[in-house]
Amino acid sequence: MSRPRRLRRATRTLTILGGVTLAVFGVLALFGSALAPFDAGERAGRPFLEPSRDHLLGTDDIGHDILSELIGGARVSLLIGLAAAAIAVVGGGLLGAVAGYRRGAVDAVLMRTVDYALVVPTIPLLIVLASYLERGMRSQILVVAVLLWAEPARIVRSQVLSLRERTHVLAARTFGAGAPYLIRRHVVPAVAPLLIAQFVRVVSVAILFEVALSFVGLGDPVRRSWGSMIQFATDRGAFLTGAWKWWIVPPGLCVAAVVCSFAFVGLGLEERFDRRLARGAQG
Amino acid sequence: MATDRLGDRHQAAGPILEVTDLRVTYDAGATPVQALRGVTLCVGTGDAVGVVGESGSGKTTLALSTLRLLPGEAAISGSVRLGGQELVGAPAEVVRRHRGRTAAYVLQAPGRGFNPVRTIGSQIAEPMRLHLDVSKPDARDRTARLARLVELDPDLLESYAHELSGGERQRAMLAMALACDPPLLILDEPTSGLDSTTKAAIAETLGRLRQEQGLALLVISHDFSLMADLTDDLAVLYGGVVVEQGPTRTVLTDPRHPYSRDLLGAYPSMTTQKDLRGIRGSAPDPADPPTGCPYHPRCTQAIDECATWAPELSPVAGRRIACLRGGVLTRLAAKNLTKSYRTGLRRTVDALRGVSLEVREGEVVGIVGETGSGKSTLVRLLVGVDEADAGTVEWEGRTLATFEKAEWADFRRRVAIVFQDPFEAVSPLLSVAEVVREPLDVQHIGSGSDRAQQVAAALAGVGLPPTDAFRSRRAHDLSGGQLQRVAIARALVLGPRLLLADEPTSMLDASEQAKLLVMLKDEQLARGMAMIVVSHDLALVRKVADRLVVLHAGEVVETGPGAEVIAAPSHPVTRALVKAAATLGTR
Repeated sequence: MSRPRRLRRATRTLTILGGVTLAVFGVLALFGSALAPFDAGERAGRPFLEPSRDHLLGTDDIGHDILSELIGGARVSLLIGLAAAAIAVVGGGLLGAVAGYRRGAVDAVLMRTVDYALVVPTIPLLIVLASYLERGMRSQILVVAVLLWAEPARIVRSQVLSLRERTHVLAARTFGAGAPYLIRRHVVPAVAPLLIAQFVRVVSVAILFEVALSFVGLGDPVRRSWGSMIQFATDRGAFLTGAWKWWIVPPGLCVAAVVCSFAFVGLGLEERFDRRLARGAQG
Repeated sequence: MATDRLGDRHQAAGPILEVTDLRVTYDAGATPVQALRGVTLCVGTGDAVGVVGESGSGKTTLALSTLRLLPGEAAISGSVRLGGQELVGAPAEVVRRHRGRTAAYVLQAPGRGFNPVRTIGSQIAEPMRLHLDVSKPDARDRTARLARLVELDPDLLESYAHELSGGERQRAMLAMALACDPPLLILDEPTSGLDSTTKAAIAETLGRLRQEQGLALLVISHDFSLMADLTDDLAVLYGGVVVEQGPTRTVLTDPRHPYSRDLLGAYPSMTTQKDLRGIRGSAPDPADPPTGCPYHPRCTQAIDECATWAPELSPVAGRRIACLRGGVLTRLAAKNLTKSYRTGLRRTVDALRGVSLEVREGEVVGIVGETGSGKSTLVRLLVGVDEADAGTVEWEGRTLATFEKAEWADFRRRVAIVFQDPFEAVSPLLSVAEVVREPLDVQHIGSGSDRAQQVAAALAGVGLPPTDAFRSRRAHDLSGGQLQRVAIARALVLGPRLLLADEPTSMLDASEQAKLLVMLKDEQLARGMAMIVVSHDLALVRKVADRLVVLHAGEVVETGPGAEVIAAPSHPVTRALVKAAATLGTR
């Protein structure tokens, strides 16, 4: 018993750590413009300044304060990640629910599409899609969502399929419950925890994808995200000058921290819901 | 003429006894008591007619009024024709002439009809001395013959009443009644107070007398098995009214009036293995009889009209019954249900192959079969969550397939189901209160507080604590037995008329199973609802079911009253099931 308990305690610690980190980044994303020393678009000093008291992380090639850019990037990165994940999970979830509920031909068509979406290599698809769309945040969100909808769809479908056959749903049908009631009262509550866990996981992947997208030059040219910061820094030869230490590492660490935090929180949620579901099932 | 034949009998044309619209009111106390409220009855030559009913139904009043033996305060109207002579309103001498000669009355309590200080023989001889002009030796002779006829040892004729056993006294009583060779015997509880072997012997004697002597019998009793042995026709009396009348066998094997059905259910017989059950409510107060149908306050299928309209006897299925609803309702009927499932590209499995069955109001049908016999498929079709490939399911005569939206909603309210595994059948995410309230929510019944009240009542009804703490618990915090009770409360909260229970206790231990079944039966009885119990366990089902349906490979292989199916299984599958049923080592 002690091993799983230790494991559970570790998961708990990680979840709390992730939560705190996310809270910090959340505050930065929401109130970044007030907290940052300079405006992200403002020429705050001479270009290529090394870190100093005035500019804790130096300045970039135009003279923007890198720390302010980093704080501004939190909002952009998180926004893209959250929006893309929301679209992917809600959209995918709906498609999965329809497939599971209607079954038959609808299910077959949707699920083959899901299979296709799952096996196509993501990065090439990302690049191809992004190059056809105009550069900008909206396209980025759309592209990332298109890449990530398949898994939630699949999870929801299998849940709906099994719920359909569950006796308590059959029981509800025998006293006259119709589809709207069943979905509201039985499907959504049963699927919601899974979707929330799924959402948290998808957010972290979406943020990574955004970085990848921006890094290959398909990011929003106006609004700097952490991904486009890294891309710009690389383009301006940061790796050759030693500026990478304050220009590339901080946004990279931020991405890593956020992605890990989301993953930790997701893990914690999954564990919790799993226990609840397992307890419900075995009695 | 047969040697035992006791002289000539004036053969009257037409029936010996003809009672038409007989009403008797006792005007003794403050309020008049209506003992009979319009009874019509006819006994033809050589007929054996039974009148059955609970105490207070008016059956003794009926027996007494056929010879105008009623006490003075009784007001009688209608007509009683005995041997062609109208007795109602006739002078006392005319009536007296018919007593003992056209019809003789055999008193209810054997023994109390005898004078303790005179010998039995002299008392048997008395009526013939009174009515027939016979000499003393002739009378003695005749008395001896009568004794032989009723299988009474002639030596006993010199004894006194207290020296005889109950059976012997009853035989002496019979001999006395037969003294003047009446064509009709009126027997009021002829076997009450006798043990069952003596009872059977008396019944046999009566049957033989009827055959040999061409005697007509009017048997008044509450004893169904006596009726089955003695009579050809039976009238069921309730609240001073005949509610069902027809051939005895038809009425006893397939009673159609709710009262006859309930009364038979209360009668201990070997035909069902179920426990006895009394009829809910109590017999009507004759001083204040209910309006409309006398049985409506106790009837589970009564509608508003039953309280205002008094139904008349009308023919139903080979007998006549007085019921506005046409007798015991057929709630659910399945006709020739066929269903197959695809199991592969080209393979199908026939789950059901032409299954028909019927469930009436207040009846418990047990569907027994092994795994894979099609039980679950049948249940799904019967509750209308699946459709049959062919065949129909009818609810109160209307086919489910043609239901409109409102009819579906009504059907869903009236048919409920209890599943095998409560942990599966109850959502793990809902609290006990939410689970039980769900049907009310779905059907939009009542306000929030109404629903809470109904939930509390339903929980109390299945023996669960109606506390807030219990109501907020979830499935995984309850034991299997508790959770199954929650599931039953949910099934009963809408007040269904049919409850399907699919292996309702198979997950429970023996004690919990017994408690749950007793609770289910009590609910079934109290609500008078129909019930279908599906199980593989014959030993269990026979405890609750009136009728068994044995299912095998998608077909009904045997059906009939529980005890008959178990005592004499005709199909190999049934025999196997009976053999495999649990016994305790004494096979």
